[in-house]
Amino acid sequence: MSPADGAPRTGAEATGAGAIGAAEITLAFDQATVNLDALQRSAYAVAAEMTVDIRVSGADYVCTFFPRKQDTTDDELKHRFRAEVNDQILRVRIAKETEPLRNLVFALAFSQTGLVEAEGA
Amino acid sequence: MKLERVATALPRHGWQLLPLRFHRIDADSVVLTNLVGEHVFVTPDELSAVVNGTCADQELLARLRAAHLIQVPGETLPAELLAIKLRTRMRRLPDSTGLHMFVVTLRCEHTCRYCQVSRQSAAKNEFDMTEETARRALELAFRSPSPHLKVEFQGGEPLLNFPLIRWITAEAKRMNKEHGKDLAFVIATNLALLDEEILDFCAEEEIHISTSLDGPQDLHNGNRRRPGRDSWQQAVAGIRRVQERLGKDRVSALMTTTEASLGRAAEIINTYAELGLHGIFLRPVSPYGFALRGRGGANYDVDRWLQFYEAGLDQIVEMNRQGVPMVEMYASIIAKKMLTNADPGYVDLTSPAGIGIGALVYNYDGDIYASDEGRMLAEMGDRTFRLGTVHDSSYADIMLSDGLLYPLTESITLSAPMCATCAFEPYCGADPVFHYATMGDFTGHKALSAFCRRNMGVFTLLLRKMRDDPYFRDLLWRWAQ
Repeated sequence: MSPADGAPRTGAEATGAGAIGAAEITLAFDQATVNLDALQRSAYAVAAEMTVDIRVSGADYVCTFFPRKQDTTDDELKHRFRAEVNDQILRVRIAKETEPLRNLVFALAFSQTGLVEAEGA
Repeated sequence: MKLERVATALPRHGWQLLPLRFHRIDADSVVLTNLVGEHVFVTPDELSAVVNGTCADQELLARLRAAHLIQVPGETLPAELLAIKLRTRMRRLPDSTGLHMFVVTLRCEHTCRYCQVSRQSAAKNEFDMTEETARRALELAFRSPSPHLKVEFQGGEPLLNFPLIRWITAEAKRMNKEHGKDLAFVIATNLALLDEEILDFCAEEEIHISTSLDGPQDLHNGNRRRPGRDSWQQAVAGIRRVQERLGKDRVSALMTTTEASLGRAAEIINTYAELGLHGIFLRPVSPYGFALRGRGGANYDVDRWLQFYEAGLDQIVEMNRQGVPMVEMYASIIAKKMLTNADPGYVDLTSPAGIGIGALVYNYDGDIYASDEGRMLAEMGDRTFRLGTVHDSSYADIMLSDGLLYPLTESITLSAPMCATCAFEPYCGADPVFHYATMGDFTGHKALSAFCRRNMGVFTLLLRKMRDDPYFRDLLWRWAQ
């Protein structure tokens, strides 16, 4: 998949990434195809394995990884984060598409409990 | 309610997604859950096809539609059914609070290595609850809307203040003539002080006994120390006496997993089976109080506990296969949440959390806590979960206090980071006391949370076994009933 498809690029591919150093582990994601919310959710979800710094660089979000354990390879971190981002993209998409129905179900569920007043009351 | 207009929005290729969440069980399998936890296993490719709207597998689409994970545009029934199921799962909420724990004394003749609260000398009466404190606590308990009221006598060792247990039981029954609630009593005791007078009383008042049994003699006595080093002998003799006098179903036991328990799951379960106890709760040690000290038995991580849990579950399944009935209680609670719309009301696995609205604790001195773990924190010097005192707090003071409402609202799983999109959210719960104790805030960082890691591990284990083993799936269905 090309970067235009939303595929991440490694640090060497990232352009205009500011303070990215040679020893840093980075991935770049195209802003046109990867939602910042998905990246932030991914960073939260992998917090036991690494902390993630997210910066805007040109048309990309550049993610820099800081592993918690020294025995994790760069590729393992990148695979782990890519997999998490792919899942979070799906979750964001599902949430966006189903939000009206979700709200409807909750409204129906709680409309008959007496805990909320009827509309217009 | 503008049901039809909302429900027909977002048409897809002949079907549309209903709110769903997913979790990857392993490389080949993903579980999808709907708003109320009904689940379907799919492959990773099927997940992508379903979310991307390209799935053309009619058999799969039929399964997803039956599980209310997708619907045909224009349908209104799925949303209505999901709403009914959601309301059913939450019907306990208006009926708070069902469990009222009375710490009738802080005294104890045991010095258990993982005990969180009680090392008071058995002779110091200043750690006993008084009748006046108990009366005020009962008045508050009867203010609860719940039609079911369970009074649990706790300690310390509550039998060290047996006269107060008698008094509270009589007073509660007297008060209940006016309230007409379904009233039940439990004594949580190590059974070392059990005698004929107590047995007569329990028989007469239909009191249930809950005791502690950590497994075989050496393990139990290593954890639960008392003069004479005979805690196990006392507990076993007590269980048998209760079974003979009150009936097999009137006594249950709880075990606590210490580091010494790991690797001994089969022995522990066999000890229960030999005593005719058909249920065991494979519990990790709580991260409070003395348990966190070097010799408290808590020196193991979640992964080691999960290995222990799986070994124990395998043993229990094998026993059932061979005709020996045995239930793992935690799995049965989760099974009920996974496979039915009933909420068992287990305080550690509910959202909103079970603190205060599921249980209240009245300490010996009249202080009121949102949970037993909150009381344990207070014994260590942190009174965050103290809601008031029976001596000058009204029911409204307690139930509307910031000390209760703030942790409840902060920890609701439907809005907590990671929980809100977690496939296991309908099975899980909020535990603000655990997260406060271990991470310093009521919500906790779920990616770093031992509570989250442990429960995710158990949910994944149960789902994987259900997927792979028809016998286990049937067994879990039976446990859920």
